[in-house]
Amino acid sequence: MLRKEQNDYLCQTGPGTPMGEMFRAYWMPALLSEELPEPDCPPVRIKLLGERMIAFRDSEGRLGLIDEFCAHRGVSLWFGRNEECGLRCPYHGWKYDVNGQCTDVPSEPAESGYAKKIKLKSYPLIERGHVLWTYMGPADKTPPLPEFEFATVPLKQSFVTKRIQECNWLQAMEGGIDSSHVSWLHRGDLSNDPLFKGAAGNKYNMQDMSPVFEVVENDGGLLIGARRNAEDDQYYWRITPWVMPCYTGVPPRGDHPIHGHFWVPIDDGSCWAWSYDYHPTRELTDKEVAAMKDGKGIHVKYVPGTYIPLANKTNDYLMDRAAQKAGRTFSGIEGIGMQDASLQESMGPICDRTKENLVGTDNGIIMARHRLLRAAKALAEKGTMPPGVNPEHHKVRQAALLLKRDVPYKDGAKEALIAKPGVRQTSV
Amino acid sequence: MLSESARMTTAQEAGFRIQYPNSKPRAARIIALDPPSAKLVDDVAKLPWNGAHFFTALSFASGKEPGVSGEGMQAWLKDLAGRAMDLVSEVSDADFVVAITSAGEDARAVTVIADACRAHSKTLIGLVVPRQGASEEDVAVSLDHLRPHARMLVVASGRDYIETMLTALRA
Repeated sequence: MLRKEQNDYLCQTGPGTPMGEMFRAYWMPALLSEELPEPDCPPVRIKLLGERMIAFRDSEGRLGLIDEFCAHRGVSLWFGRNEECGLRCPYHGWKYDVNGQCTDVPSEPAESGYAKKIKLKSYPLIERGHVLWTYMGPADKTPPLPEFEFATVPLKQSFVTKRIQECNWLQAMEGGIDSSHVSWLHRGDLSNDPLFKGAAGNKYNMQDMSPVFEVVENDGGLLIGARRNAEDDQYYWRITPWVMPCYTGVPPRGDHPIHGHFWVPIDDGSCWAWSYDYHPTRELTDKEVAAMKDGKGIHVKYVPGTYIPLANKTNDYLMDRAAQKAGRTFSGIEGIGMQDASLQESMGPICDRTKENLVGTDNGIIMARHRLLRAAKALAEKGTMPPGVNPEHHKVRQAALLLKRDVPYKDGAKEALIAKPGVRQTSV
Repeated sequence: MLSESARMTTAQEAGFRIQYPNSKPRAARIIALDPPSAKLVDDVAKLPWNGAHFFTALSFASGKEPGVSGEGMQAWLKDLAGRAMDLVSEVSDADFVVAITSAGEDARAVTVIADACRAHSKTLIGLVVPRQGASEEDVAVSLDHLRPHARMLVVASGRDYIETMLTALRA
């Protein structure tokens, strides 16, 4: 349970809000590289943290992320012509470079210098691991580039998608650290999904529906360990890392690629659910990539030409009551991603946490909120840089392993929880 | 035409949710396992709660030791007013129990609380809070004491997390 003012504090990420200012301390995924595939390709509209922007790749391949609207008459530059190292407004021909600097005002004499006095707000946009990242905070506080492992392995070892989720970022992100729902909501997929099935660890998920949890703070966020009984005096541990503010990792299964999410606010009522898969030591197979493109694992099928899930609220998520009744899916919704999204969207645009009834095993969620509140206040009141900005905090890895019952996971999984280039994930 | 899900998930529709208390107050029992934790619990107890009971010490009748379980167990809790309360009846009346220990302190008494929780099917949450000068090894020792018994084990950042967690659980 949160008080309303706490809920508002955590959920509002627009300019000038405390949580919004905290998000602006981080590099965040903004676009997929595929959205700006080549120089002078069509520009792309994007909204992040309640700010509308236009992204483009200029004639020399440079990336730009600038205010969506022309400074002249407020036209959307989505209609602009991307040519000759700039984006030209089609209304009166004003032109902007990747930094938002106006370079041409055709109605004024070039010698007048008028164009130099016009500049649109711009943010840096860099490419790293299939993703275009932006930093929307003060330029003098730009942090080092992100070092999340999925974004630093060779491109053929990773696969990244995104989908629109029509709810506040926090209720989406909380699903990513809520390990106890897996055995219920996703139970059918553990044995059927090609990117999940076959792992030895799956049986422990299904045999023990009452995991025991251990939550520990680390430098960048949290480690949430879920422990289930296994044979031979062992526990099966699944350890979920959360890096502040919105990166979550799903513990791996067998030799399947590792996966997880970023939950990036679009505005207070919607977010981008980013889904990544990667393998630390090998290229993804054609079969794996085909399955991901087909919406398996944590990915989704799309409405063609969009990043809107094919199963979405406008079609009742293609609810299949027969599949639910027969046990093929637990909720009647197909696919892990939309099983989560459908329930999280059902809470409404912003979940009313004054009415929830958390239990002891929700401590991962309670602690994540606590850390977010604490960090946002420290940034607002003292200028303290929040956890998760330092790229060393990104070098964490999810793990699934068997440990003797008297071995704490912090010790037994110590090495497994560190992302080390060229070292295979620890997984059962 | 909009689907039912599309209509029902708007902010406007959220305004039609029935407003009523959907739960009864929780019976929480918060027990400090050592003197430094007792100080924290004593402080936290001064805040307004929904009927949570706070205890600052656990003691045993003569001849009984921590770890001794069973019907004959005589363990006593000291509440904030200094009264001795029977552990088993407090646990049996609880919805959940929180055992708090400071890093590196002796937390073995948790076994007795855990036995009572098991006997009455109550969830035991274990909280380890930092203590000045405590090392990682101290935290590990505390975790070792609590791990076999707690359904949820948390290394908390301090007193503020005790408050946060109890508020979140409607204690």
